Amino acid sequence: MRRYLLLFLAACSVFSSARAAEDYKYNEDSSPHAGVPQGEVTKYTWSTSANFPGTTREYWVYVPKQYDAAKPACVMIFQDGGSYMRTNGDFRTTVVFDNLIHKKEMPVTIGLFINPGEFPAATPGAKGRSNRSFEYDSLGDLYAKFILEEMLPELGRKYNLVQTPDGRAIGGISSGGICAFTVAWERPSAFSKVLSHVGSFTNIRGGHVYPALIRKTERKPFRIFLQDGSGDLDNSHGNWPLANQEMAASLKFAKYDYQFVFGDGGHNGKHGGALMPESLRWLWRDYAK
Amino acid sequence: MKSLLTTILLAINFGLSLGTQAQDMALNDILVEGKGWELVAQGYQFTDGLCSDAEGNLYFTDVAKGGAIFQVDKEGKLNSLAPNVPKISGMKFGPEGRIFAATQGAQKQIVTLTLDGKITVLASNVEPNDLVVSRQGFVYFTETGKGRIQMISPTGELRVADTGPYKPNGITLSVDQGTLVCTDFEGSHVFAFRIEADGTLSSRAPYMTAVTPLGKIQSMGDGMTTDMAGRFYAASAVGIQVFDPTGRLCGVIAKPEPKFISNVTFAGLKHSFLYVSCSDKIYRREMKAQGALFFAPAK
Repeated sequence: MRRYLLLFLAACSVFSSARAAEDYKYNEDSSPHAGVPQGEVTKYTWSTSANFPGTTREYWVYVPKQYDAAKPACVMIFQDGGSYMRTNGDFRTTVVFDNLIHKKEMPVTIGLFINPGEFPAATPGAKGRSNRSFEYDSLGDLYAKFILEEMLPELGRKYNLVQTPDGRAIGGISSGGICAFTVAWERPSAFSKVLSHVGSFTNIRGGHVYPALIRKTERKPFRIFLQDGSGDLDNSHGNWPLANQEMAASLKFAKYDYQFVFGDGGHNGKHGGALMPESLRWLWRDYAK
Repeated sequence: MKSLLTTILLAINFGLSLGTQAQDMALNDILVEGKGWELVAQGYQFTDGLCSDAEGNLYFTDVAKGGAIFQVDKEGKLNSLAPNVPKISGMKFGPEGRIFAATQGAQKQIVTLTLDGKITVLASNVEPNDLVVSRQGFVYFTETGKGRIQMISPTGELRVADTGPYKPNGITLSVDQGTLVCTDFEGSHVFAFRIEADGTLSSRAPYMTAVTPLGKIQSMGDGMTTDMAGRFYAASAVGIQVFDPTGRLCGVIAKPEPKFISNVTFAGLKHSFLYVSCSDKIYRREMKAQGALFFAPAK
């Protein structure tokens, strides 16, 4: 009898993982509510990058209504910013920000939503060349320098920002997830909070080594919310579900402050989007609101 | 309306970024099961200068010896053409069926030549290694020793296109010819440039990271070619390194034998055979990929 039960459970588990139900539901924090002040989003273009010369990119700045120029605001930076910013997309980040800031479940935080760079085509018939993989998948501090030397100072020209790592968070999906991790890994003095959705901790450009590096490197002072699903990618770069489980095991081994949520979703933002309010509350849980 | 359009474009853009960019272009997708390297020609000193014409005939040189261009025609027959030509290290077909070559020996030049051996000099007092010719007729050639790339415009004007802290060697274009790519013989990256409307190069970036032999920082990146799906192929110390259009390594195709490989190109039926010059020999293998020809009209 016990054997049958095990077989049955095994069959269920195969069935459910193959199905990747992805029936993740948003809660009230991902919808606008009357009486909740809405922040403003402004779109910009950045075409003068010194760290990625020749690239151009769009970025958006979300400023909560509660922002007061007399008080420094926290900053949270999202890679593939366009998708995080959309209010009808998987993440609805600015709506969640509005709600959580209003409820004082996260501090007054300016959102910086940055798209990856592109080399625009100059010759007839040519297409622009994406710099996304180079910027996001490469290990090292080049993207961190781009953020700290270019984007944050540019944002700081307009807004009064917290300068300490406890008031700065960074997140992303897929290659943007490992990118966010790399920024904190390279500059823990600048970022204390990382949010990774279906992060590509695989061998796209060597990022599969992070679980090993984490175990043999002195713990760095950042916390990380890690999300993945059993239906995520398995391809020549690696196996995303295994890589994220390895990340979680290494973060545990090295005694990081981390959360790992492993669902049954695929390589998309559905689960991470539904978790956005919970993950933001967790990341900002002890920051003065 | 504009915001709706923006949203749709964003959705498409993001769909692409996750749907295709996170997905891979696996090495196995282009290799043919059971079809490995086959020997095509041997008995040379130093084979190089691989290129293909529109029909898929392969051309190569013996750069240490000179005196001829060799052709492997579509039937696999080996022909010796262009008698008395100098030593040639790089060779490509360009617009109007002209053959462009980088010569070695006493006269280091960029020339065009015909298969009966007539030579027209385009540039002298240069130190060219390899070259590529765009659809518009711009010639780009690497000067490995000088650490720079020079270009010759369709009107014959010679100018320096890039200087960098590297040893450019093999050189190719993206399928749409908006990007120029070159290996760094003494480094571990493959560099990409934007091609400007006037043919000049800008925005040099270490777009691809190459595999190097154990304990070395030199990839020995050498000759390059491009396939129609946008992959870049680079001859190197560890084998032929294949990169996807976004610069990610697909994998490394092992060399036919442990000796050095100097160049790589697609030729043969449907340009779907990958040829490699390996020391004193030429090898080829069938591929599930098709080589890009830069003198043909862009699709």
